Amino acid sequence: MGGLFKKQSGPSMLFKKSRRKTQNRGRQKMKKIKHFIRSKLKSKLKRQMTLSIIILILCSNILLAGAAGPKDSGENLTPSEGGIFDRIIAYIKSLLGEGELQDSAATSGAEASEVQQSAAEGAALKIATPNVIKSASFIGDSNLGIFAHLSNPPLMKMDSEGHIVGQLAESYDVLENNTCWTFYLRDDLYWSDGEPVTPEDIEFSIRYYGKEAPWANWINDTLESSTVSEADNSVTFKFNKPYTRINLEFATYNILPAHVWKTIEKPMEYINEGPYVGCGPYYLKQIDLKAGKLVFEKNPYWEGKIPEFGNVEIHFYSNVDVATLTLEKGAANTYYKYAGSYPYPNIEQLEKTGNFNFLEKTNLGLIFLAPNLKKAPISDLEFREALSYAINYEEIVRLETLGYGEVPNRGFVPPSMEAFKETEKLEYNPEKARKILEKAGYSDSNENGILEGKDGKDIKLEILIRPEYARTGELLKEYLEQVGLAADLRTADADTWVTLKDNYEYDLTVTRSTPWGMLMHASWGSGYFDSRRTGQGVMHNLDDPEFLQLCDDILSTTDPEELQGYAYELQDYYAENLPAIPLYWDNVVTPFNRQFEGWYADPLYGIYNLDNFVNVKKASA
Amino acid sequence: MRKVVKKTLRYAASFLLIVTLNFALPRLMPGDPVKNLIGEDVYVSEAVMEELRIEMGLNRPLYEQFTAYIGDLLMFDLGYSYHLHSPVAEVLRERIGWTLLFVGVSVLLGAALGTLLGAYAGWKPETKANRLLCYGFITLSCTPPYFLALLCLHIFAFKLGLFPFKGFYDVPTLGSVMHHMFLPVTVMALFSASRNFLIMRGSVIQEKGQLYALYARAKGLYDISILFRHVIKNASLPIITLLALDFGFLFSGALFTEIVFSLNGMGTLIYDAIMGKDYPVLQGAFLVIALTVLLANMLADLLYAIADPRVRRPT
Repeated sequence: MGGLFKKQSGPSMLFKKSRRKTQNRGRQKMKKIKHFIRSKLKSKLKRQMTLSIIILILCSNILLAGAAGPKDSGENLTPSEGGIFDRIIAYIKSLLGEGELQDSAATSGAEASEVQQSAAEGAALKIATPNVIKSASFIGDSNLGIFAHLSNPPLMKMDSEGHIVGQLAESYDVLENNTCWTFYLRDDLYWSDGEPVTPEDIEFSIRYYGKEAPWANWINDTLESSTVSEADNSVTFKFNKPYTRINLEFATYNILPAHVWKTIEKPMEYINEGPYVGCGPYYLKQIDLKAGKLVFEKNPYWEGKIPEFGNVEIHFYSNVDVATLTLEKGAANTYYKYAGSYPYPNIEQLEKTGNFNFLEKTNLGLIFLAPNLKKAPISDLEFREALSYAINYEEIVRLETLGYGEVPNRGFVPPSMEAFKETEKLEYNPEKARKILEKAGYSDSNENGILEGKDGKDIKLEILIRPEYARTGELLKEYLEQVGLAADLRTADADTWVTLKDNYEYDLTVTRSTPWGMLMHASWGSGYFDSRRTGQGVMHNLDDPEFLQLCDDILSTTDPEELQGYAYELQDYYAENLPAIPLYWDNVVTPFNRQFEGWYADPLYGIYNLDNFVNVKKASA
Repeated sequence: MRKVVKKTLRYAASFLLIVTLNFALPRLMPGDPVKNLIGEDVYVSEAVMEELRIEMGLNRPLYEQFTAYIGDLLMFDLGYSYHLHSPVAEVLRERIGWTLLFVGVSVLLGAALGTLLGAYAGWKPETKANRLLCYGFITLSCTPPYFLALLCLHIFAFKLGLFPFKGFYDVPTLGSVMHHMFLPVTVMALFSASRNFLIMRGSVIQEKGQLYALYARAKGLYDISILFRHVIKNASLPIITLLALDFGFLFSGALFTEIVFSLNGMGTLIYDAIMGKDYPVLQGAFLVIALTVLLANMLADLLYAIADPRVRRPT
């Protein structure tokens, strides 16, 4: 066979072979090209067709899902009311096999009912909050301090009317020119480890704070002596000077078990995730920063009214919008923010779920315009008077509070505060503002549209604002310009704001007061203006002897009638002298499960008070 | 040898500069740490403020504070947090672990996904699928991570109820951690992948036109082999640089994702420390970030040498 092949390998044979090879190659190439084009076309066509079919199926399913949703859930929504987004969501849900196709709102509702049901069965009361706990330091973390009121209630508390009444204390006496305070303790209080709460615990806690916590150092400086009496279950504190607001101060200090804490040398540095011994209806079982929650469990030795909830969980969220979503979803029963409201823009959305009622109360704190009283022309009362008429309060209220607020009075203090006096409402009247300015000698002699000051120069006010008040600042600038006053906005971060404010490097600034801020010093907001005080948020811009005397008078009495008289005088002073112009009184809106009743809010801590945790119960159908 | 010494000296100089900057930067910020610690509405006397200042060592002249800081650093003492009431080293140790878990996984996933898809998209940029992929990743890279995180949370946690809203876990179990980490990791990985994808795609488009790629094709190599054996090696050089830079981002850039998912990570730690003027925490955190970036750059140098023979060949 091999020879045969050899014989045929002549030149002609080779030529034929190569021709055949070339032909074959050409044919193969053509075949390949044809096949390539066909296969490419086919695969392209196939892909496009498959894609079109998938899209068609998807769209029809989404539409069907959207249409089926309301029908299945029994809601009255028509398919057209749900957007394409909701339809896609409903479809994905059906793919994931989450039971019946439901409208998202209905799903939220069902889940909310589930949470409510479980809560009613003695499970957990879940509170969503944007007040994030940063450290498991029971004494060092300020937010933890507020939440621990439930496990370690302070001696006193504020009731819904703003009066200071006993909590762990049954009553109290003030003697010897307001230097000697005696608190009589309730005798049915027990720590969660079974030990009784004694006057020694109160004495220890107050002294401990004075010694260890920088913010309570005043106790160390002024507390002369303290004694306890087993006979009448009382503790007496004697101060080296008259102190009239001790009952209020003691509404903020959590009481600690002496037998546990006396061994802890540096309490500020004491980091422990729990459990902590407490004497409230619940004790703090766990601080879990990584899970973002606090867990309170029932105090087995609590002898007061038995709470309905097995435990209380505080879930903290770094983002307030996410916190609101958890409520809408039904994963939380209520919302709490110290000195703040549920975000106004999200209220409507939450209302739509139909699962929440809202508690509305005027905030004890407020937003105000603080003038620099040490600088002309702001130091001129007539100028401030004109300023007060130049501001469109209704517009600010509408834009900043979305209707959950009101135009304030000249007397500064909001109506939710004890001894509130009805003073004249602030009014927007730019014409009147212009007339007052003209009468006071501020005229536009060079007719450039800007009024001149008494030095003959154009008035250009600097409005110092922090970024959170940017819109208010813009509005104020516009209002001032309308009455012939030029204004510049100077935006500064919080720390720069404090520095500039403390150095009086501003003409006007927008700031806020907190509930505690309104109560500090001689109360009724006086702590913000008294020039003898310092602090991050305070203006210390008022050194009028009349005002300082009023503060001292308030600080020297505990008599309720006298206090009320002084409070009225102080509000009149604010109304007449305008050391600050309130911009709006806002409301604290707190949502809570419709299935539970018995909630109330106190002006200091809102709904986070011990009474709510023992009184809230399932609403009767 | 000389090169190694030169490089070591360069890294040492960088480290010294970093340490100095770490000390100076927090102190250049406006604001008083003591006032910040006391709070908004609390009144304390000047004497108490001064006591606190002494306790925190802030009453001493800056050069004394600096020498004390260097001294502590040499003893591996990062100081004590004003606000968190714990040693900084302890705080960092706890936060770094969790941050590494979610940002580290995201960066690695993002690198793998972005590199592979980017390489493929660069190799065949004309196909519809790749064009679509490219549009998708451009959209992702243009989307602020904060918005992307909120959007994912809204769809998958709120609407679909598939994932939790916050935290690293509900109960400290592996399942719970994975369930909680899925969304933040996905968001971060997608974001990281989008950057890697775009760089890799561009790089591959550039490389595939080179002669060596043509030669490989002429040798009869398959597309896949050309891409993964030859082109990807050269195209991945910018990705190595990006990854090295991402290590800094690893500890600080996840702030927005941490805020949306309420995660106690390094991002929020640094943010809170800036707001609270917590100098020791800031110094410690910056130091860790700087060291990680230095280390990552050293690794990048090594990887460059492995990936590119021109780097390791003496000139």
